[in-house]
Amino acid sequence: MAEKFEPKIVAFLCNWCTYTGADLAGTSRIQYPPNVRIIRLMCSGSVDPTYVLKPLLDGVDGVLVGGCHPGDCHYQSGNYKARRRIIALKEIIKNAGFDEERVWLRWISASEGQRFAETVTKMTEFLREKGPNPMRQKWAV
Amino acid sequence: MDPQPRIGVYICHCGVNIAATVDVKAVAEFAATLPGVTVARDYLYMCSDPGQRLIQEDIKAHNLNRVVVASCSPRMHEPTFRGAGEQAGLNPYLVEMANIREQCAWVHSDRGLATDKAKWLVASVVAKAARLEPLEAREVGVTPEALVIGGGVAGMTAALDIAEAGFPVYLVERSDHLGGRVADLNRIFPTLERVADLLGPLTERVQSHPNITVLLNTEVTQVEGYVGNFEVTVRGVEEPLGVGALVIATGYDVFNPRRKPELGYGQYPNVITSLEMEHRLAAAEESGPEVLAVNGRLPKKVAFIQCVGSRDVQLGHPYCSRVCCMYTAKQSRLVRELLPEAEVTVFYMDVRTFAKGAEEFYDEARKKRVLYRRGMVSEIYRRGERVILAGEDTLLGRPFDFEADLVVLAVGMEPRADAAELSSLLKLPRSSDGFFLEIHPKMRPVDTAVDGVFLAGCCQGPKDIPDTIAQAKAAASSALIPLLRGTVPAESATAVVDVEMCAGCGMCVEVCPYGAADLDALWNVSRINPVLCKGCGACAATCPSKAIRLQHFTPDQVLAQVDALLG
Amino acid sequence: MKTEPITEQLELFGCIQCGKCTGGCPLARKTELNIRSMIYNMLVEPELDVHAHPELWDCTTCFTCVVRCPKDVRPAELIISLRGQLVESGRIPETIGTALMGIFRQGNPNGMAREDRSAWAQGMEIKDARQGCSVLYHVGCIPSYDLRVQPVARALARALTEAGVDFGTLGTDENCCGNEVRRMGEEGLFEMLVEENGELIRSVGADRLVTTSPHCFNTFKNEYGFDDIEVLHYTQLVAELIEQGRLKFTKEVKAKVTYHDPCFLGKQNGVFEEPRAIIKAIPGVELVEMDRNRERSLCCEGGGGRMWVEGTNKEERLAFQRVHEAADTGAEILAVACPFCLLTLVDAVKVQGLEERLKVMDIMEIVNLAL
Repeated sequence: MAEKFEPKIVAFLCNWCTYTGADLAGTSRIQYPPNVRIIRLMCSGSVDPTYVLKPLLDGVDGVLVGGCHPGDCHYQSGNYKARRRIIALKEIIKNAGFDEERVWLRWISASEGQRFAETVTKMTEFLREKGPNPMRQKWAV
Repeated sequence: MDPQPRIGVYICHCGVNIAATVDVKAVAEFAATLPGVTVARDYLYMCSDPGQRLIQEDIKAHNLNRVVVASCSPRMHEPTFRGAGEQAGLNPYLVEMANIREQCAWVHSDRGLATDKAKWLVASVVAKAARLEPLEAREVGVTPEALVIGGGVAGMTAALDIAEAGFPVYLVERSDHLGGRVADLNRIFPTLERVADLLGPLTERVQSHPNITVLLNTEVTQVEGYVGNFEVTVRGVEEPLGVGALVIATGYDVFNPRRKPELGYGQYPNVITSLEMEHRLAAAEESGPEVLAVNGRLPKKVAFIQCVGSRDVQLGHPYCSRVCCMYTAKQSRLVRELLPEAEVTVFYMDVRTFAKGAEEFYDEARKKRVLYRRGMVSEIYRRGERVILAGEDTLLGRPFDFEADLVVLAVGMEPRADAAELSSLLKLPRSSDGFFLEIHPKMRPVDTAVDGVFLAGCCQGPKDIPDTIAQAKAAASSALIPLLRGTVPAESATAVVDVEMCAGCGMCVEVCPYGAADLDALWNVSRINPVLCKGCGACAATCPSKAIRLQHFTPDQVLAQVDALLG
Repeated sequence: MKTEPITEQLELFGCIQCGKCTGGCPLARKTELNIRSMIYNMLVEPELDVHAHPELWDCTTCFTCVVRCPKDVRPAELIISLRGQLVESGRIPETIGTALMGIFRQGNPNGMAREDRSAWAQGMEIKDARQGCSVLYHVGCIPSYDLRVQPVARALARALTEAGVDFGTLGTDENCCGNEVRRMGEEGLFEMLVEENGELIRSVGADRLVTTSPHCFNTFKNEYGFDDIEVLHYTQLVAELIEQGRLKFTKEVKAKVTYHDPCFLGKQNGVFEEPRAIIKAIPGVELVEMDRNRERSLCCEGGGGRMWVEGTNKEERLAFQRVHEAADTGAEILAVACPFCLLTLVDAVKVQGLEERLKVMDIMEIVNLAL
């Protein structure tokens, strides 16, 4: 372990709230660790289970799903769908012997640039503590 | 069906905005090595005319069939680059953006790490681009009417302009009268005209305009639909109102100084708000200065305290309320005229006179012997019939205990208490201070994240009357764009069903919030109506047999993005 | 001393020089202390001769400046930081040095012997908290040793017993909380106390920690990081016991009472109503308010180490002004809820010759009369 472990995080952000919040973090120049890579989707409700599972299986250290606050979904109820799906998904991940704490679902609005930056910072620190996704080593063997 | 992808990648410097943190040349060199990339370049400003021309010339010269622009947020310039591609004969949905400014250069400072991240962001979008499919642009009709929420100066002005352009407007006002907060004022700066003389004719024009339906004692309870075709439910009106655009002009609340108990408001009769002073000044003009008496005596010393409830981080009001400096200059001048014997002192931390004619008006106030003392009052307590203002004169560097008969607190503005309700009705984001959020504070101060919904007046942030009217007229002209065009672009990235794979379970029908999905009675397979579909993708994510794909965000494209990110 | 490191650390650049800090500072009116101007100096001058400012020891850390600052600058923290420089240099008033040494050696600022710490409870059966209890009572240095304040601790222990509260103390192992230590600028000693006390207090396993003094309450609540222990000032606990009907009064106290809000309880921690609720619940008592109450309560000048240093103006004491304000209400009793306030105001009543008219009592002492 010569090199310090730096987690890789894939973030699926809804276009209307969290993606815009991430943009606001940018326009406000709020600094956060570069460990997160953002993929823009229209709605957190469109996050297919495979979007979460595949990265974890491929050795990504964390998956962040960001949507609008309850009641604020641009498509009325997509975030509630995301919440139900992620809860079920975490259960499946846990039962399959993986670490469900690597999956975070957060509500971050378009005006919460600070909250987005804090979330990424916290998640990065959390995953640094936790260490690499064991699936990385699986492929390395 | 797809020919081999021939992708052009364009890395924008955005002046130094990106280039200072990200090694754009290195990103371009890296991009050139990615599968499917035909040409990769960097340029100072991709959004400039020569930048766009560069893309268009490459499309022709290299026969490009995909374009990736790595620059600012797609929320900023996606329409620009899609338009540029389209002009060069490329389907606009074959242009994709990588956000390396807001989500990379501006939030990281380590050049090495930021450059590395930018590379992977570009790789990810290139991987998606290789799998993009052309989509058909579609248009839908517009209901040629508008609705304005709020009957103050902003709402009335916006309604009048839309009505004058020939479109019917509903003006929804919660109270039983038009005029809003301005109706509470007596005279306005810098002309010292009477409000009644200005507001009366405006209200009269609104009420009598054939295109305006004024709905008093009503409020909006539900908003459905999208730009061009909103359905607005208004309490007290039977049918939902169909309109093509909305203007929000709901105004503000006045700060309640009871939240600063150290100032003794509500406790001492000597301490009043500027709004109460406005009423007293109006009464004094009618019936003489006696109405200004406190504890039965005409005040000999009158003090004004600025920034009460404004510029205060601890209250969650970090902003300047923008009108208090000038209304205090106005009120203090009027007091000097009504009570020539009285000493008038203004305690301030900065005087801000940015409106036209404002600095000149402030000069006049001082010349009329309104004394400005720099230093804020920290607390107020009683001494006999008078009150003591405890503070520091920061220019003298000495604390003072200033005795006064009458103290006017220059209370600022705050978001309306019910702003959260309207925000969730319309899915309208608010900024951290609680006012409604414009798309861009400088470049797009009237537009909101919701297409077809525009902001006017203090619901977006504190402003004076001329700024309010200017924004109201801007909101009206923006609202008129879809009404005048008659059509608006419809979502092209809709969900589609692969009927071969559909098992007819009907889960898509259950999850679709728009009733766009239903089951074909004959074949028992799902059908999605592209006119109703808004492209949220809930059905695609739910479909157990993966028969539904959300176009432009297909699992194939998204997972390719994930793969590319891993390097 | 270079100004920049402190300016950076305390983010003084946020200051807009509005003057609300100095404007509300009770000491600025009687000494050279001007915190607003001090901040400006820090911003514009590269060096500050910290020894040229004896008025730094005038500050009572009442935190009015912190509460009033519209930009969240926390001016009093600058004074604490500059005192830290003085402490480090060793050039501090002798009495401050003695108090700090007393705390270091004997766990209390008066340098009294550790083994005498539980003398206040002589003749009372008080459980050692380590036998297990739901409420840990931190008595505090002054109530443990000072003859005038000991009855307050005794009254509280009696009330808790009568209400059937399962409480205990740490006996002679109790140590100074360090609230004033930090405010006198001795950060190192403070950190040591936080570590030692924190460990000891956590080991008790109590759900709640209750203090006699608002000063102990403040540091335990805000600076110790007790996430799983609810920190209470005794007025909060006693008001709760009265409300729940667990503490019942049997006697009447016929008196007009006014209440002085301690800075560390009121301004700094927003506890305004519970002390008043207790006073109003005592049969026979009529509560009258001074004009300057709650957020505008006038500091008694006992905090931030001022119990052990005179300051640059010994003649005009804020406590003198305060007892006159209390007497002017027509009250017979000036009620307090802080050991420092009790001592400074008792003294002021004597010096001002108000003994015939006004008696200073801790709320707990009045409660004790009615039990």
